[in-house]
Amino acid sequence: MIKNSFYLLLIVSSMIHANSLYEFESLEDEKRFYSLIKEVRCPKCTSGSLASSNAPVSEDIKQKIIELIKEGKTDREIKDFLSFRFGNDVLYNPGFNESTYFLWITPVVFLTLCLLVFLFRRKS
Amino acid sequence: MNIFIRLILILIPIIFFSFFYLYINDDDYYPGADFRVIDMPKFEINDLYKDQRFTHLDLEGSYLINVWASWCITCRVEHGFLQKLSDQNIPIVGLNYKDDKEDALNWINKFGDPYKFIIHDLKGRLALDMGVTGAPETFLLHNGKIIVHYRGEVNKMIWNDVFIPIINKEDIFNND
Repeated sequence: MIKNSFYLLLIVSSMIHANSLYEFESLEDEKRFYSLIKEVRCPKCTSGSLASSNAPVSEDIKQKIIELIKEGKTDREIKDFLSFRFGNDVLYNPGFNESTYFLWITPVVFLTLCLLVFLFRRKS
Repeated sequence: MNIFIRLILILIPIIFFSFFYLYINDDDYYPGADFRVIDMPKFEINDLYKDQRFTHLDLEGSYLINVWASWCITCRVEHGFLQKLSDQNIPIVGLNYKDDKEDALNWINKFGDPYKFIIHDLKGRLALDMGVTGAPETFLLHNGKIIVHYRGEVNKMIWNDVFIPIINKEDIFNND
């Protein structure tokens, strides 16, 4: 009997210390945090998200994101905060700005040209 | 019409390859350099020797801010060059990053101190605000604004290619 309760205590005691790694005020905030860290690149990694990284700077940025969420910042504001400090390449989804418009527009222009040439040839 | 299409078919690969040729052979491209102008974040931090408190107001004028730590091997490599810059009367402020105080002081005693003063950013809070991702990193500060941010070791080549053009353009450090 004593032996069994000892085993039971061993099993249960680990659960007493179980705690989540990060503290959040609501489930909504927690969801936002976990989706954000998948969309932000770890600045010290070749290409890995914050979620995949334990680098010291990634841990710092994760803590900062939690702080910003608690301050009531929107996802957009948090991403702007990070890209302002660590450069545009920390965001996996490149925004439409002066250094990326060429990238976004070229395929459309190219396809339009292809289509035009194709139609032109058919007529003649 | 056919000539037109043939011309395009020939031109596209030529443009494509010359684009990559030029891109790969661009010697002036430094991935660690960031030339965006950013306000220096406000801070209030103890210095490494614990007897003085420094704030952003102590950084009036022009300074280099060098992020270093005793655990950082590249900082050791960079140290000699910083010493040379300091010998040329260029004011360098050390930002000791996530380092044990004792280790940092031992390091300075052993290898020399090229810094005007050293602030001790134990948790890396200020460094995070400045966009530091590791050590070493070097910032050029001019009138409260960061005008160059270089991630990685600063040596003679980086100094001449990345920092000097901006320093000459903004007319900084010519007090000697």
